[in-house]
Amino acid sequence: MNLRSLILLGLLFTLQSAASAATADAEKRLEKAIDDVLAVANRSSSGAELADNLRPVLEKHLSFSAMTRRAVGPGWRQFSKAQQEDATRLFTTLIIRTYSNKLTPGEQPVIKFKPASAPAPGRVDVPTTLLYQGSDYNVTYRMEEPEGWRVTDVVIEGVSLIANYRTQLDAQFKKGGAQAVISSLNQSVNRPK
Amino acid sequence: MKNYAHLLPLLLASLLPLATGCSSARKSPAPVVPASSGDGKSVAAADDLDEYESVAIADPLEPLNRATFMLNHGIYYALLRPISKGYEFIIPKLLRTGIHNAYENVKFPVRLVNNTLQGNFQQAGKETGKFLVNSVVGVGGLMEPSERIPALADIPSADTGQTFAKWGIGQGPYIVLPLLGPSSTRDVVGLAGDFALNPISWVTIIYGGYAWTIAIPAANTMRSLPNQLAQYDAATENSVDAYLSARTAYVQYRAAIAER
Repeated sequence: MNLRSLILLGLLFTLQSAASAATADAEKRLEKAIDDVLAVANRSSSGAELADNLRPVLEKHLSFSAMTRRAVGPGWRQFSKAQQEDATRLFTTLIIRTYSNKLTPGEQPVIKFKPASAPAPGRVDVPTTLLYQGSDYNVTYRMEEPEGWRVTDVVIEGVSLIANYRTQLDAQFKKGGAQAVISSLNQSVNRPK
Repeated sequence: MKNYAHLLPLLLASLLPLATGCSSARKSPAPVVPASSGDGKSVAAADDLDEYESVAIADPLEPLNRATFMLNHGIYYALLRPISKGYEFIIPKLLRTGIHNAYENVKFPVRLVNNTLQGNFQQAGKETGKFLVNSVVGVGGLMEPSERIPALADIPSADTGQTFAKWGIGQGPYIVLPLLGPSSTRDVVGLAGDFALNPISWVTIIYGGYAWTIAIPAANTMRSLPNQLAQYDAATENSVDAYLSARTAYVQYRAAIAER
């Protein structure tokens, strides 16, 4: 074995251990996030209270800015600063509502972690199985590092939350630009249930 | 019910050319095209780690599909949801699980044949083991003792649409079916295949005409209602455009199943 391949090998090992350290960090952060969410779900007695209590927890563990940007897609670059803020605020409310609708206070889901992968630097995908109300779901969490490992997407049975909104919001943007995206988000936030 | 059974082969024959016709044009299981920004630039990312695209499927029937989607929405809320709630109210949870398990167990030929057609003989063998264990130990499939045997637990399900996908047949155009909801040309043919392979439909075909034969598929519909409605809710709640949301969720879900 010559020196160059030795160095290469060494580099590979360092990279690999760096990657596994990253996945371990991301996994740890995700476990904490899930624990926090479940703790909130358990001490909330009503759906409205749950949504209020969830907000600070989700704002800590989810990257709403990245989620909104990607849900909107390429059109994001043409949003003004104020429009970006509006869209982020509305989309955040929508996501928090989606979460709180899914959780019934008191019901404990069982989550099993599967080996995580790092498809790109600064990004880790953590696949899990979720047993909730008698059914099994495959749920993959996408985690990213910039703001200290935060969830940027949730993929349930192959359906990505962000990709789903991307299709809808991109269609709105093509129809009427930033204003159409914001007013469509506004509409669905204010839609009576 | 009997007439329906006779219609199926006809439906299959009429739709097959459509699905195979699309296969040459589109080989990928998930027909995803890159979203292009309005100014014609091919770069369509919001940032460096953004690799999302609009999830696309050919939808030449969109106006009709949207109308069917609205109709289904009305039927779900006005009719099926109360029925589903009634079912959940009248039948205790334990019995509902038993009924669900029994119907899933009877569907064994659907999974066996499709695993075999996909060349997945190991899974076909596991399914056979699972069927035997649950039929004998699980009292005709009411219980699922197989879930406690590690080798037989969590076997991914198999269906005819998935087999077509594995054979490289594309989704074909998107179709919203009355009552059943989102589907594609390929999966409609797949549904016909599942129907033909499902012993529950054999009962209707063989003994069709007797009133009691309606009870078996009717109960099958009942037991799958709560789940189907929950899926519909999950796909459309908090959406910006419920139709697009359901369509996108369907395409992604089926693509994930094809990759299993």
